[in-house]
Amino acid sequence: MYDDAVSEETLGALREEQARLKDRLRELQQRRRELRDQTRDQVPFLANAVPLVFRGHIKQGQEAPKCLVSEVRISYPLPGGSALVTFDDPKVAQRVLQQKEHEIHIEECRLRVQVQALELPVVTAVQVSTQVSRRSVLVSGFPAGLRLSEEELLDKLEIFFGKTRNGGGDVETRELLRGAVVLGFTEDTVAQYLCQTGQFTVPLGEHKFPLRVSPYLSGEIQKADITFRSVPQSVLVLNIPDVLDGPELQDILQIHFQKPSRGGGEVEALRVVPPGQRGLAVFTAASD
Amino acid sequence: MAADEDNKKQVLKEPLSDKEYMKDEQRERLIDEIVKENTQLKKEIQRLETELQEATGNFQIKEDIPETKVKFTSLENPENDSQFLNISCSFQVSSQVLYELQKGQALITFEKEEVAQNIIRMGKHHLKIEDVDVEVLAKPVPLNSGVRFQVHEAYSKVKINVTEIPDGLPEDQMRDKLELSFSKSRNGGGEVLCVQYDKPSGSAVITFMEPGVADKILKKKDYPLYINQNCYRVTVSPYTETHLKNFQVFSGISERTVLLTGLEELQMTDIELLEDLVNIHFQREMNGGGEVEVVKCSLGQPCIAYFEEERNGMI
Repeated sequence: MYDDAVSEETLGALREEQARLKDRLRELQQRRRELRDQTRDQVPFLANAVPLVFRGHIKQGQEAPKCLVSEVRISYPLPGGSALVTFDDPKVAQRVLQQKEHEIHIEECRLRVQVQALELPVVTAVQVSTQVSRRSVLVSGFPAGLRLSEEELLDKLEIFFGKTRNGGGDVETRELLRGAVVLGFTEDTVAQYLCQTGQFTVPLGEHKFPLRVSPYLSGEIQKADITFRSVPQSVLVLNIPDVLDGPELQDILQIHFQKPSRGGGEVEALRVVPPGQRGLAVFTAASD
Repeated sequence: MAADEDNKKQVLKEPLSDKEYMKDEQRERLIDEIVKENTQLKKEIQRLETELQEATGNFQIKEDIPETKVKFTSLENPENDSQFLNISCSFQVSSQVLYELQKGQALITFEKEEVAQNIIRMGKHHLKIEDVDVEVLAKPVPLNSGVRFQVHEAYSKVKINVTEIPDGLPEDQMRDKLELSFSKSRNGGGEVLCVQYDKPSGSAVITFMEPGVADKILKKKDYPLYINQNCYRVTVSPYTETHLKNFQVFSGISERTVLLTGLEELQMTDIELLEDLVNIHFQREMNGGGEVEVVKCSLGQPCIAYFEEERNGMI
């Protein structure tokens, strides 16, 4: 027959266990909520230290842009039979663009070409998700004044960490960052082992140095917002008929676009891509 | 007598009364239920624990990219064909590392790191500012961490994204219909190189032979797709590939700049004078100082001080 006392006890124990489990669950759910709200300022242990200095640049008030953009470079393919005209004054470019077609009369030469604003895709916002990498590690702690080129340094690190007898393994990727190097291995286990060990003495040239190996936080683009912005001083000339060769064409276009009577003005640069050829126009940051 | 005892034994051997039996059954059921619930809870806990373990380090970064004006620089003629198929764009993004200078605080940058560290080690410093004795505390500057990365974006001149494709035909047939419709020059189309069609999502990527066709089509937001006698409008959008390089999270440490606090009580209005006096004090070796690069004080409004990278070698 079923024993009353025992089953009462069991019931009591089970109820207690449930209470404990519910507490634990609430705790974990709370932590998950907190992590979701976490900003990047709270993950310093995965960041490597970069020395910074105050040079006197300040801004009054409390509004400051959150990030700096540098080394902007845009490559725009130009088809054959086109030209890129860059004027000194953006107003001249605007004036030229008011007419979609331009007729170029130079001596006996008549060319009809099309003119268009130059629009470039520009990234206005990015969303990046980060994750502790399973296969990559961060190597840091390099001594100051190390006389090695980027290639030499990466080679030496790959040699050392590529050897199983050092605790390493096959290196798949390598990248130089500011103050650190990222090495990506083919096996998870290598990355794990290296991070657990943490410290390695690595030969870099004549001497050996103690370097630190830690987990690498990698980032991936989730979303990039792109809009088109026109380059204010430049104008695209298209569908140039194939009647003249390069240098002649360059001269004729230059003369035409400099004539104030045709709406033109001072030309800063003019590049022609003759029919049948291709060119890549490169744009970089304009210094004010 | 014996009969009575027999009776008693009889009673004991009888099965439980209905009421008692119900209580027992209920309890059994209750026990089963609780055991089930607890097992469920344990599973849930296990799942969350695993999720949290992996989640440490998972966070989203949203950055608005400030606009940079660009200008034509040069015309190149690379060998690589693929460079003509995209408009390529690349740039470096770095978080601004800032310190909000509060009232009564100052930042001082020394030329030599050892001097800065010494000033911090000394801790308290006694300055005389216009006949007033001021005790100033020197501390390391607490700096936020930031991220740096390079963005590489390729905006295709030959590919387009197509979405809202109706789900009426088998995969092969729909692929053909897409190719036919997008080849029609009267609708703005052109010769198609290939079609990648994903039936479940109703989307496709169309690659054209010539650059220029994509631009024309993208002037409108949709395009006509012909299936038998019907015309459907499918949505067209640009095809871009974006990826990051050289991603790193870094924490800024200030080696040569020191934070000074304790200037709140000063009744000065000439900040430049104050900065000069602080500068002079900390230049003197007998005060533990050395060559000073810059001093900035705040006596009222908080101001934002920008920290920049030290430019000394590759690493």
